[in-house]
Amino acid sequence: MERTEITNVLTAIFRKILAKDTLILSDNLTANDVENWDSLTHMLLISEIETEFSIKFKLKDLNKMRNVGDMIETIISKL
Amino acid sequence: MIFTSFNFLIFFPILAISYWATPIKYRWVTLLVASYFFYININPVFVLLLAGVTLSTFIFTRLIDSTKIELKKKKYMIINIIMILLPLFFFKYFSSFNNGIISFLETNNLRWPLPEIHLLLPVGISFYTFMAIGYTIDVYNEEIESEKNIGIVALFISFFPLILSGPIERANNMLPQFKTHKTFNYQLFIQGFKFILWGYFMKLVVADRIAIYVDAIFGNVSKHNGTSLLMASVLYPFQVYADLGGYSLIAIGVANIIGIKVMQNFKRPFFATSISEFWRRWHISLISWLTDYVYTPLSFAFRKYRISGIVLALMITFIISGIWHGAALTFVAWGIMQGIFLSIDALTNKKRIAFETKFQLNKKIWYRFIGMCITFSLFAVSQVFGKVTFINDALNVYLKILTDSGPLFIGTPSTLIFIIAGLILLLLKDFTDEFFPSKFLLFENNFKLIRVLAYSSIIIIILLIGVFDGGQFIYFQF
Repeated sequence: MERTEITNVLTAIFRKILAKDTLILSDNLTANDVENWDSLTHMLLISEIETEFSIKFKLKDLNKMRNVGDMIETIISKL
Repeated sequence: MIFTSFNFLIFFPILAISYWATPIKYRWVTLLVASYFFYININPVFVLLLAGVTLSTFIFTRLIDSTKIELKKKKYMIINIIMILLPLFFFKYFSSFNNGIISFLETNNLRWPLPEIHLLLPVGISFYTFMAIGYTIDVYNEEIESEKNIGIVALFISFFPLILSGPIERANNMLPQFKTHKTFNYQLFIQGFKFILWGYFMKLVVADRIAIYVDAIFGNVSKHNGTSLLMASVLYPFQVYADLGGYSLIAIGVANIIGIKVMQNFKRPFFATSISEFWRRWHISLISWLTDYVYTPLSFAFRKYRISGIVLALMITFIISGIWHGAALTFVAWGIMQGIFLSIDALTNKKRIAFETKFQLNKKIWYRFIGMCITFSLFAVSQVFGKVTFINDALNVYLKILTDSGPLFIGTPSTLIFIIAGLILLLLKDFTDEFFPSKFLLFENNFKLIRVLAYSSIIIIILLIGVFDGGQFIYFQF
């Protein structure tokens, strides 16, 4: 799967979970930049990403995701 | 030695001068010696526990880093967490557990072999234990390399501004600061004094004055009517905020004066418009610690249950938070209430946001104000459990508030007048910081005269209406 394709799928997931129809993802985007992206919705995002990409994260992966870019890299490493 | 004691006013200037006079390479030694002196001054015996936790943490974090085998890393992490939790459990919970069994068996005419025990809680143990656990997990998660110098680890765990009541700092913020060779930072130095001044104001003018009224009412619930209990219940959250918030500011300010940056512990919590936002502004260091080391692993483990898993993780996390505050059913009830409030918040979050966006409510002042009032009320209701000794007392307080109205207990009129005056000042500063961060500046004003007047006024207010024979800080008991 291409990086752009991953970003597109991720954008759809983020928009759905965070209830933000116009959200645009960028590599540098962090939870601090998006209202409603908090520790509660974060785990819903993780769970949705796992289902959508058929991957499994480890707890250690989560700790290393500092922004959307890290998240995409982690997903790529699991595909 | 506490921040509001005369001894501290002598200790700290001597330390600050010695610290800056020490050759850069050995400044951490000065801080370590001062931190142990500070702690020994409170109770010499308990320093052995502190040293034990430090030694165990140092050895096991080095062991975690020494192996590449995941299973061994995990084993070392778990052993250390158990090792350092043992004293906390023993001193904080064992006597309650033991005495609970005794009274339970006595009601059934049975005998328990152990006598009733009352242990003195080593002050700060709940705080430094959490810091040591956080460091251990960070090393295991490869967020930070284990420190090779045991002196730096000892300083991190015993750092005197933080040891008694936090903020519960993280190794990745503190260890590099203890190791870097810092030059004198004038801005940080001055900022430290400002924090200390405002911290003393919060503690001596606001918290300890409110304490006089709140303790008079809650100390004798049966004698007071619902109106007075309502007043005390509304004031108590402000007391805790001014007490722990004031303590935290003094701690942060003291650290700043010696060039160390420490995380913020409160961010104007009473302007939060939802309970989840409130918990991102209240006792931030504890809540972020619990989020990272308890809530995240739990919600990760339960993630396949989606929102139900999150609710379960929230409930467990806040029950642990309650028990961390004390070994009493009232704290468990307090934790359950927070868990329920936050779960409702999480469950309704999406619909609420959609509703707010549709009617553009978030920008409307009246809507935000209602949100703040509801959030405060929920917190104040739960805090009754944090104040009373038994669950029945809390229920009695609620019942009286709802059914037993009457004239408000005034006591000494000056107490309520000073409480109101102090609260207005405190909330006014929070209000301008929240909504007009670059306007109405007093401490940060460009004109020196206004700055000097602002500092002088606060000092005069502290000296005139501060309570100097007040008690300890509330969080020393936790």
